[in-house]
Amino acid sequence: MIEWILSTFMIVGAALMLLAAIGIIRLPDLPTRMHASTKSGALGTSLIMIAVALAFMDTAVSARAFAIISFIILTAPVAAHVIGRAGYFVGVPLWEGTVKDALKESYDPETHQLHSGLEGKEPRKSVTYGVAESPATKDLEEPEPKKPE
Amino acid sequence: MINPLVINITYLMLTSALLLSFVRLAKGPSLPDRVVALELVATIVAGIVGTHAIDTGVASFLDIAIVLALTAFLAAIGFARFLERGGPRDD
Amino acid sequence: MIGFFWNVLLALAWAALSGNFSGLNFLFGFVLGYGALALLQRELPILHGYSQRVPRFFMFMGFFAKELLRANLKVAFDVLTPPWHMQPGVIALPIKAETDLEITMLANFISLTPGTLSLDVSTDRRVLFIHAMFLNDEEELLTELREIERRILEIMR
Repeated sequence: MIEWILSTFMIVGAALMLLAAIGIIRLPDLPTRMHASTKSGALGTSLIMIAVALAFMDTAVSARAFAIISFIILTAPVAAHVIGRAGYFVGVPLWEGTVKDALKESYDPETHQLHSGLEGKEPRKSVTYGVAESPATKDLEEPEPKKPE
Repeated sequence: MINPLVINITYLMLTSALLLSFVRLAKGPSLPDRVVALELVATIVAGIVGTHAIDTGVASFLDIAIVLALTAFLAAIGFARFLERGGPRDD
Repeated sequence: MIGFFWNVLLALAWAALSGNFSGLNFLFGFVLGYGALALLQRELPILHGYSQRVPRFFMFMGFFAKELLRANLKVAFDVLTPPWHMQPGVIALPIKAETDLEITMLANFISLTPGTLSLDVSTDRRVLFIHAMFLNDEEELLTELREIERRILEIMR
């Protein structure tokens, strides 16, 4: 029984990594390639590491497999963000099928400021999302309003 | 023990993935493309190490996967700093 | 966050006192510690709302796993079939998260969902720029992202 689960995890994980590699070859520009590579790659490695933990059934090995999974899950989005931003600002061209680019309009290459388009509007209120207002979180939020530029 | 056929299919898929990402690494038109391919290569090698650990039953191979995951992340950060160098963006 | 560390500490203390460091015993200690902290949270302001946050965290994990699978299938389909169905683009998402930690968590979770990739935060930290792969319906995408943000902030606050 456990052998079947293990085999499924391994095959699915490897298939996800193959998918990431096909995506990195086929997709047309840098951000879309990163969509394919980072997420499918991280998920594939995580599945294979779960298979490793299942295969050994040992606390030390499971701890190491869990450590690898958490490293990869924690670092993959950060690396993707850093490379994506660097690539965008270095000027890697986007695919011609790109329908919208909100970043280009609000980026000022002279001052390197990135406008939100919300300057001059009312300062935002602290939003509580239906959670009961608790004194612990209230103290943490800064009360002073944002200055309009 | 696990079916050798499953292990072989996994190896096959992972090595072809490695090959494809090497193609992108070699021909990628810009440097960020190559960095993305390098990141993917490290992830795939970590997966191969895991498969090999299952195959041979030696758990010590997993340490290599840990080191690989960490160094690949550091390399990506370093490359990004290198790419953005020169502007006054200091964040 | 503080409450979680206390809970892990209590679980460690339980494992040390009972002299058994197996995973199951640690889990039992964690459950006991959770019960103790849930009783204590009315007295200590720093623990406020901790007992509600833990079940929300597990619900969020389930929700996130579901989103991850669904969106991964969507991307996989588009990668494997020859014509492109995707309409990539960069959109601006006004965010309600304020502190550094909240914005980091939000950006990471958005990056981990296939189909969206957070690129940058505006200088006044009120808008997150996101590269999306499927911009066929921008309003729907923004609604989904706001749902993720609402759930993350429920846990963090």
